[in-house]
Amino acid sequence: MARRSSVRIAKDRLKVLVVSDRMKCKPEAYERISHELYQVLAKYIEITPEEFEVSYSRTHVHIRLTGEKQ
Amino acid sequence: MGEVIVITSGKGGVGKTTTTANIGAGLSMLDKKVIIIDTDLGLRNLDVVMGLENFIVYNLVDVIEGKCRLKQALIRDKRYENLYLLPSAQTKDKTAVSPGQMKKLTSELKETYDYILLDCPAGIEQGFQNAIAGADRAVVVTTPEVSAIRDADRIVGLLEAEKIQKIDLIINRIRMDMVRRGDMMSVDDVTEILSIPLIGAIPDDEQVVIGTNQGEPVISMESKAGEAYRNICRRITGEEVSFLDLESGTGIWSRLTHIFHKN
Repeated sequence: MARRSSVRIAKDRLKVLVVSDRMKCKPEAYERISHELYQVLAKYIEITPEEFEVSYSRTHVHIRLTGEKQ
Repeated sequence: MGEVIVITSGKGGVGKTTTTANIGAGLSMLDKKVIIIDTDLGLRNLDVVMGLENFIVYNLVDVIEGKCRLKQALIRDKRYENLYLLPSAQTKDKTAVSPGQMKKLTSELKETYDYILLDCPAGIEQGFQNAIAGADRAVVVTTPEVSAIRDADRIVGLLEAEKIQKIDLIINRIRMDMVRRGDMMSVDDVTEILSIPLIGAIPDDEQVVIGTNQGEPVISMESKAGEAYRNICRRITGEEVSFLDLESGTGIWSRLTHIFHKN
């Protein structure tokens, strides 16, 4: 079956919706925030985009530097 | 001293009222003294789900406005010992009650009842503010759908902003056949997105509809959903209960097919 699982689509859509609700910003804005946070850190620390991940909970912005999956 | 629990969801139609009715009945089956309050002013439902619509004399607004004593408005459920319903008003609008009045009422009720369950209206307007005003803890109900989960996330944010200490999650209407083929988010998927503790997952079960038709909570019926609700009630009282295997049905036929599938 070549059809993409609809759960994957639902989760991707939710990720965008939930983060923009939590941050009270447009989806594009948080992508830019992630990008700029990376640029700031890359100035001082040796990292690659693969080793960098930003996530948003209701009260915190989490920056992971290893990129390793938990 | 009793505990005030608000049952809320943001989105309508996910099963708040059914959940309130079942948890109310289930806690009373655990020998707790319980009162369930319908806070949805103008759209009274909880009495109908409980099958108690013909016993209403007074309602929540009458109590708040002092038109009757609390005792006169309460409906005692004959099927469940120690379960009482305070119905909502069908004719008043949501401004008839204020958060301060609800807080006062629930704090008085805490002296008599072990659990005060508030069935919250959909939305995040005054009805929601009233329902959460006196709550010690919250149970957020959602279904595995994008819109319901999104609304649940906003509700959790609002509950946290109101400093509600304990917020638990119920995921309703899970269809394991769809989860298996990748067409419905699983319990883990939903819990991960909302990142609050799971207190129960309820399978999509025809018995719930049959129960609602009859005004009979599914918790006292032989069914998977009833079993899930019974476990939720025990968890609410603080007991550790392992989660149900939603894969297997309870009927003989589904048990048999389950055995064949295994082999």
